[in-house]
Amino acid sequence: MAPVIVYSEEESWGKQLLTAAKGLGDPVLFTFNRNVAEKLSGMYTRTYYVKTDSFDPVAISGALRDVVNKESATILLFPCTNKGRMIAGLTSGALGFEAITDAVSVVKTGEGLEVEKLTFGGNAMAKVKAGDKASVCIVSGSYKETEEAGSTGELVEIEAKAGSVEVEYSPRKMEGVDPTKADVVVGAGRGVKKKEDLEMIKELASLLGGAWSVTRPLAADYGWADSWIGISGLVISPKLYIAIGISGQPHHTMGVRGAKIIVAINNDESAPIFEEADYGVIGDLYKVVPVLIKKLKERKQQ
Amino acid sequence: MRVLVAVKLTYDINQLKFEKDGTPLLDACPRVMGEADKCALEEAVKLKDAGKAEEVTVLTIGSSKEHQRILKDAYAMGATKAVMVKVDDPDSLSALSVARIISSYAEKTGPYDLILLGSGAGDTHSSVVGPMVASLLGVPLLANADRVSVENGSVTIVSTLEDGQYKFTSKMPAVVTVTSEANEPRIPTIRDILRSKKKPIDETTPEELGAHVSKINIESIIKYEVPRKRVKIDATDNVEEAVEKLIKALEEEGVI
Repeated sequence: MAPVIVYSEEESWGKQLLTAAKGLGDPVLFTFNRNVAEKLSGMYTRTYYVKTDSFDPVAISGALRDVVNKESATILLFPCTNKGRMIAGLTSGALGFEAITDAVSVVKTGEGLEVEKLTFGGNAMAKVKAGDKASVCIVSGSYKETEEAGSTGELVEIEAKAGSVEVEYSPRKMEGVDPTKADVVVGAGRGVKKKEDLEMIKELASLLGGAWSVTRPLAADYGWADSWIGISGLVISPKLYIAIGISGQPHHTMGVRGAKIIVAINNDESAPIFEEADYGVIGDLYKVVPVLIKKLKERKQQ
Repeated sequence: MRVLVAVKLTYDINQLKFEKDGTPLLDACPRVMGEADKCALEEAVKLKDAGKAEEVTVLTIGSSKEHQRILKDAYAMGATKAVMVKVDDPDSLSALSVARIISSYAEKTGPYDLILLGSGAGDTHSSVVGPMVASLLGVPLLANADRVSVENGSVTIVSTLEDGQYKFTSKMPAVVTVTSEANEPRIPTIRDILRSKKKPIDETTPEELGAHVSKINIESIIKYEVPRKRVKIDATDNVEEAVEKLIKALEEEGVI
């Protein structure tokens, strides 16, 4: 079987993309996270671990390109995240591969890859033929994580060539749980009027043992948080997502499509978020959320 | 310094409607210069205003009146040169083809110190064209800039990615992609708009640039209905009852 190269710096992505890769060929992992390399090397046929001190996309893409050439691979899979898109674009440009993003399924046919992908802010689904040399960025939640170890893959350590970009990194300051790893996420939108009102969002999140976050305007325009949920920010796939006072702009909802259950609380019955929700609570968030908190506390005491 | 900005005419997806059978009504959907592309242009014009850039060339791919319109808009914002790479159906070009056109133009008319693009188009939002252009030109990529600063032949950006904030610095030439958080693009004055109407638009083609292009083979494109339950719970009158209903439903789903 021809090798399919998976790029991942996270365990969960490595397991999701492994499921996708298994349907296309022989899965080979490329990662610069030692932890991920060690944890997943037993699941992949081969694992390349790149030693690097910083995330310089050009240097990492250069190392990936060398691996693609060494493996003579023609299919590359990436997470559909900001970083994944960057590395996919750089690597594809250098190799002359096409790059397809926002994919939800990839199938190999006699005429090359056939990809189903979201477009127009997730409002439409397109079926495209991607040829036989392509990078595909896959949306979180499209494939289930592979759990069982399947192979006794070898672990190859390589060095990245020094890049020409200086990188300074400051980890995301996180109050509480990381939304990308939480089972429950509570999101606040513009319906939340004051920064102080985020307290009830945080309280609800902590009652459910989950994380909280906001939409882009609350983070980028008002500065109430360091990160936001959406296609340009955090892409999440919790079991439960509660969208509070969020209208449902496509760039936000694209970031939560992977959630198993979505609850929306909004007083505008025509808000697009209700189209994206399993349970749509029509009502004033300032009345609904306090009651929800009260009832959940009662439930906890029972 | 010389700056090249690539902009795309994008569908305003917030106004996109669909036929009953799910076909997108693209002809009826308004088209605008990509939001992030406009911010990329604003960064370039700011460099011109600061006396750091002498030349701001704006390029778009397409041949319609609307493509001309966004180039005139770019002039009104302060671009010094506008170029249209004529392609009849630019939306069918693959990302790699778009990147090849931009990089061929940059090679043919360069060198440019800085090539700016939006971090993602407003409609397709693939975010891969900027990185591809950097690869094709063999220059550093600084992507997803929420802030850009240019000093002494170097460019520094601040970028918010999944796991935190990154500050990337490199010597120019470089490719920088700019998010819509980077700035508030200027609104041109009436005088600038009137002046822009008389300015010339250069034309070229992928063939003239020697860019090999291919179409992306789209088999179908239809409205996507998210598979959700869409159960409505009315909490306008009886909040207590509505919340109880919600909690019960979430318990049955096994998510709380």
